Amino acid sequence: MSRNTRDNIDRRTLLKLTGGVGLAGLAGCVNTTDDGGDGGDGGDGSDGGDGSDGSDGSDGSDGSDGSDGDMDTATPTDEPSGDGGMETYQIGMVNSLTGSLSAFGERNKRGMELALETVNDVGVAGGELDIVVEDSESESQGGVSAAQKLVNQDGVPFLIGAVGSGVSLAIYESVVQDTDVVQLSQNSTGLGLTDFPGLLRMSPTGRTQSTALSNIIAEDGYDSVALTYVNNNYGQSLADAFVKAWDGDVAYNQPHDQDQQSYSGVVSEMNSSGADAWLFVTYQAEFATMVNEIFSSGYEAQLYGADSVSGDDVLENTPEGSMDGMKIVVPSAPVEAENYQAFAERFENEYGEAPTSWSAYAYDCVITAALSIAAADEFTGAALQETVRDVTRPDGEQVDNYEDAHAILAEGGGVADLDYQGVSGPIDLDENGDPVGFLQIQTVQDHEYVGTGFIES
Amino acid sequence: MVLLDHLASGLIFSSIIVLGSIGLSLVYSIADFANFAHGDTMTIGAYTSLVTFGAIGGLGGAVLGIPFGFFVALVVGMAMAALVAIVTEKVVYEGMDVDSIGLLITSIGVAFVYRAVIQMGFGADAVRYDIQALRPIEWLLPYNVRVTEHDVAIVVSAAVLVTGLHVLLQYTDLGRKMRAMADNPDLARVSGIRIDRIKLWTWVIGAGLAGAGGVFLGLYNLLSPRMGFNLLLLIFAAVILGGIGSVYGAMAGALLIGMIHELTPLLSQLGRVFTFLPEGFGLPIGNQYGSAIAFVIMVIVLLFRPQGIAGEAV
Amino acid sequence: MSAGTRLQTAWADLTRAEQGVTGFIVGFAALLLFGLLSGGLAPTYFLYLVGIAGMYALLSFGLNSQWGFTGLINFSVAAFFGIGAYGAALTTADSSPLAGGFNPLVGLLVALVLAAVLALLIGIPTLRLRADYLAIASLGLAEVVRTIVKNESQWTNGTAGVRGIPSFFEGWPVLATFPEAMPGLEIFVPFGARIVLGTSFWSALLNVSLVLIFVGVSYALLRRVHRSPWGRVLRTIRSDEDLARALGKHTYSFKMQSFVLGSLIMALAGVFYAHLNLFVSPGDLDPITTFYVWVAVILGGSGSNRGALFGGFVIVAIREGTRFLNEFAWIPFDVAPLRLLMIGVLIVLVMRFRPQGVLPPQRELIWPSAVDEAPSRPDSGVREAKAGGGDE
Repeated sequence: MSRNTRDNIDRRTLLKLTGGVGLAGLAGCVNTTDDGGDGGDGGDGSDGGDGSDGSDGSDGSDGSDGSDGDMDTATPTDEPSGDGGMETYQIGMVNSLTGSLSAFGERNKRGMELALETVNDVGVAGGELDIVVEDSESESQGGVSAAQKLVNQDGVPFLIGAVGSGVSLAIYESVVQDTDVVQLSQNSTGLGLTDFPGLLRMSPTGRTQSTALSNIIAEDGYDSVALTYVNNNYGQSLADAFVKAWDGDVAYNQPHDQDQQSYSGVVSEMNSSGADAWLFVTYQAEFATMVNEIFSSGYEAQLYGADSVSGDDVLENTPEGSMDGMKIVVPSAPVEAENYQAFAERFENEYGEAPTSWSAYAYDCVITAALSIAAADEFTGAALQETVRDVTRPDGEQVDNYEDAHAILAEGGGVADLDYQGVSGPIDLDENGDPVGFLQIQTVQDHEYVGTGFIES
Repeated sequence: MVLLDHLASGLIFSSIIVLGSIGLSLVYSIADFANFAHGDTMTIGAYTSLVTFGAIGGLGGAVLGIPFGFFVALVVGMAMAALVAIVTEKVVYEGMDVDSIGLLITSIGVAFVYRAVIQMGFGADAVRYDIQALRPIEWLLPYNVRVTEHDVAIVVSAAVLVTGLHVLLQYTDLGRKMRAMADNPDLARVSGIRIDRIKLWTWVIGAGLAGAGGVFLGLYNLLSPRMGFNLLLLIFAAVILGGIGSVYGAMAGALLIGMIHELTPLLSQLGRVFTFLPEGFGLPIGNQYGSAIAFVIMVIVLLFRPQGIAGEAV
Repeated sequence: MSAGTRLQTAWADLTRAEQGVTGFIVGFAALLLFGLLSGGLAPTYFLYLVGIAGMYALLSFGLNSQWGFTGLINFSVAAFFGIGAYGAALTTADSSPLAGGFNPLVGLLVALVLAAVLALLIGIPTLRLRADYLAIASLGLAEVVRTIVKNESQWTNGTAGVRGIPSFFEGWPVLATFPEAMPGLEIFVPFGARIVLGTSFWSALLNVSLVLIFVGVSYALLRRVHRSPWGRVLRTIRSDEDLARALGKHTYSFKMQSFVLGSLIMALAGVFYAHLNLFVSPGDLDPITTFYVWVAVILGGSGSNRGALFGGFVIVAIREGTRFLNEFAWIPFDVAPLRLLMIGVLIVLVMRFRPQGVLPPQRELIWPSAVDEAPSRPDSGVREAKAGGGDE
């Protein structure tokens, strides 16, 4: 018995001592951050980018975030820039490396890599740009998880993402909205993004496409349309915008699922609807399947499409003559412009094929990010929010490449002195975060896409 | 008549399902568990034949619009599927000491492994065979039936394979033994039948038919790593509807499920099919519900007849 | 010191499996702590992971209740998870196509009611079927639910998903403003990094506490319920349903009750997910979730809630851990199929070599007094013998 009580006392004393030491230690090590943290702006006002603390022995880079109060990360992905003065500015990118949008993801990746090369050749305010890429798997949930990692774990203040309007919206609402992180989507044409001024995008809204399509179909003399769209935010919003803009009869208007093996039901219903003009708002793989089914069922109709049905995947997987005469509206880069042609030439040298507008958008996203960083006072989300729109807006000197733009900033110019014209167009982000758009009308002739006109929005 | 066209599509789709469901039913009755890896076995057959066909090309000549080389690739695909099944049986299932539920769960793991390997090898995107798509058959067009020669080839090949199986089951020694094993394994063993060997042959035949089903599915639609798994539920529905343990039940079930799946689009157009109904009449059930409807019907049938159409009493 | 010897005897008391698991958990926790202190792992992200692990633990509890205790092969886990998430989302989100903007507690209630209704709808046709039919039918019906959620956009917003879901603590007196009210803390770890805990950390902490409460309540509830006579009947049904029926038990109604109970717990996980992720979409009902949870339960040990907890953590480790593999560019494979491959191999290995799972239920299923009054331990282990080899 006595031994028991002694043991108990021993244990109790031990616990007390440990507790006391722990608290003391914690008190010594813990500070509250500067302004008590309840600034009420959702930000927590903790340290902004500041001098690195050296104690973690990392590469001296820092100055990442402060936007959501996460710690300075010594992320393993940092390029070991090693030398003292060089800062590495790390931003994040959510790309669709796998899944039904992976074709776009591939193009974005190339555009991004080319841009990264361009930026780091010149430098960003004396430092380097680094991009951490995460896969959204072409799904909203995957995108949200990827963004969670980038924002909460890697602490990036600038996020390029994502491919697919639904994915971008999900990321914005679940991860980004209450933080200071800047989100700039590289490929989202759904109309929903316009409702969120905090969510920026480089590809123009699909509303212009829908309006353009309804004009084109009317001009071609059809008064009844059968419409099918992919069952997500992109398809739905473009389809709705088309129906609003279209004056004639909509004989058929149904969604279809992504990623299915067969669409014979949809196609045969479009045929039974009696309309002679068929409009498709969907992605390449799905459209290729539909074209094959139209062909092997012997249906005849005039085909029209929105941007995502155009691509090599479709041409390769459909028989000759199956789409001749089809008209597609795609967001386009101003192919006549000098900077675009220089971009296209570099792209071709590097990758052996001509770029698509999607690569151009991704390219411009990276350049815009770099310029925003160079123009901002500090590498935090709040500071970047101030600069990102203005670097593209039409006040200031028009420059069309990164080198010149950076030179203006390096010489002490501010964002008001700079109007970056991207390879994908003048950009000019408006108050809803949407850019000015160029559209190109493509017609399929001899099983190839031929540009047959331009529309400016 | 719109109905004929849908019936024709139903027949073609059923031909593909029947190849899967027979194999599944065989494995179910002899190896005694629900093989969730069956769908991915179809995928294996399809991708193998894709590679083979790409390697050997058309070999000149074609029948029903399909080059001879494709048929060679078909056989290779079937063989590969059978081989993979045998290896899996030897490596995984044979040494296991769990009941049929445990085997079911294991087969899910096996299915994931198959699918992951294919996806790593071929990527997640859909691909097609390098066969020219065809226009529909001319003389059927006036009847509003739109089938191409490829579709006819699918139906004919499935019929050939199914007939071959029937002959095997009824008229050969092996078939007799298989039927005996399916009926009563203990009695079969007692009467001297080599259970293990029969089981292997069952895997070969079952997986081979599944491989063929996968090849034709790829021809009919597309090849993608998920193609087999997507079809798996419908194949299970067909087998269960037809009754576990009965190969002929599986055939009937496949026909029914295929028809239901392809006829679902008509639900929203009932007015067109049945002239006595008003023109615009239709149930608000869209195309996307095809598999769902097939499933619900299966569950309803099971409520009233748990052993399925031709199955032994539960 | 007696604390030390006490630890030693406690350690020796554990079975080898338990020692292994404890060792694993301690090692893993140490690794995580190291990551936190050295700055490699952000606290907010860490809490997010804990939240997800808690969610999978809840799902595993639910499935364990159905499969581990009653032997019901339920492949419709994803449907109940999704219904719970959608129920909470559609009730509380401002952008809900149905009435929205209610208090999250109301959302919780709605989700549970919906889950119970769905459990009845799925259970009635399928619970009478034999085991493998139940598996397939439940999988198929889950797919039907997913198709409906995906396509009836007038009710569910379809593939656009439901956005703008408030946090669970919105509208609560103190907790709603807790994240902003708490001062940001900086912790200087000697030889480590400076850790900053800001608003997002505090709100993540709130979320984690929520899931811990859910997990704790479910664990306690299940523990109590399974040691009761009701639980005994369930276990009998699992081992031999005919015997249970011969003893006069109305097995169908017991199975239905167990099914509904498990579904309610799964829906609870869904509710938590909705308030964690602030976004739900039909993709959340994908059957892969069902299979993840099955792996967790099997790996952990069917019928064992502790095992289910362990399994949940392993699943999250695989899911999120493979994400980090992205950074190693020399791996020639895509991460997504690699994840699938790992899960598949894991299932096969577990079923092949240890089908009863890592922590099979032993003492969990036995009323403590029965074991404690047993004579001193013989070599074979009274507990193993008493447990009759454990329910597999």
